[in-house]
Amino acid sequence: MAVRVLVADDARFMRQLIREIIEPEGFEVVGEAADGRAVVEEFTRLHPDIVTMDIVMPKRSGIDAVREILALDATAKIAMVSALGQEALVMEALQAGAADYIVKPFKPEAVIATLKKVAEKER
Amino acid sequence: MDPVKYRNLFLEEATEHLAEIGRALLELEKDPRAGESLDLVFRLVHSLKGMGASLGYDAVSTLAHRLEDRLGGWRARGGIDDADGLPLLFRGLEGLERMVREVRETCGPPAPDPELVAALGAAAEPAPRKKLPPQPARVAE
Repeated sequence: MAVRVLVADDARFMRQLIREIIEPEGFEVVGEAADGRAVVEEFTRLHPDIVTMDIVMPKRSGIDAVREILALDATAKIAMVSALGQEALVMEALQAGAADYIVKPFKPEAVIATLKKVAEKER
Repeated sequence: MDPVKYRNLFLEEATEHLAEIGRALLELEKDPRAGESLDLVFRLVHSLKGMGASLGYDAVSTLAHRLEDRLGGWRARGGIDDADGLPLLFRGLEGLERMVREVRETCGPPAPDPELVAALGAAAEPAPRKKLPPQPARVAE
């Protein structure tokens, strides 16, 4: 059965790119969110297996959204999407309970490997 | 990755972002401590950096990264607190607009603007680097 993924990023470009990287590899993108509030709402509605979470988003940061989702469901699996220069924020997200992270610009094989690892993690 | 499709997505989204940045800079001109406008410009510049890097447009990602660093400093200090701040931001916007125009006209990567990057970097504070857990190796075939 396909791993169900919710993709959160304020850039359509990035949401589309993640979708195109992971869908041929057995992941199913079940939803997209363009801000930190919508991702929490979509998580509650869709119950995905994994969330890919951009850090810098409108309305609520990706890190705040991680905390909120994990408060709703402590077993949620979240992979942060970060860019160069965001090391401190990634550390904060991992400490908040995010399972792992991927870095922009994406190396497709690293994105897939990370999401497979996250999907297999026990929570 | 289909380069034409993603170039078009970049052009569409970057054009929207630059228009929004322009409006936010006008707000900052009225009030250099307008936190929401500063946050908005930071987020949009960050987004341009990611898209530029994904397409190999190093000129875009380098300029956006420098702008992001400066914006990060201003956000931390509660507003644009130096005299050259706003003029630099407007120059940054013009630089990014020129680059996006060049992508549209040539369908290739735009030329860099080392002078502007240097001007932005002159007073930028380098962010402390933290060591992260390693990324996974390639997926086994």
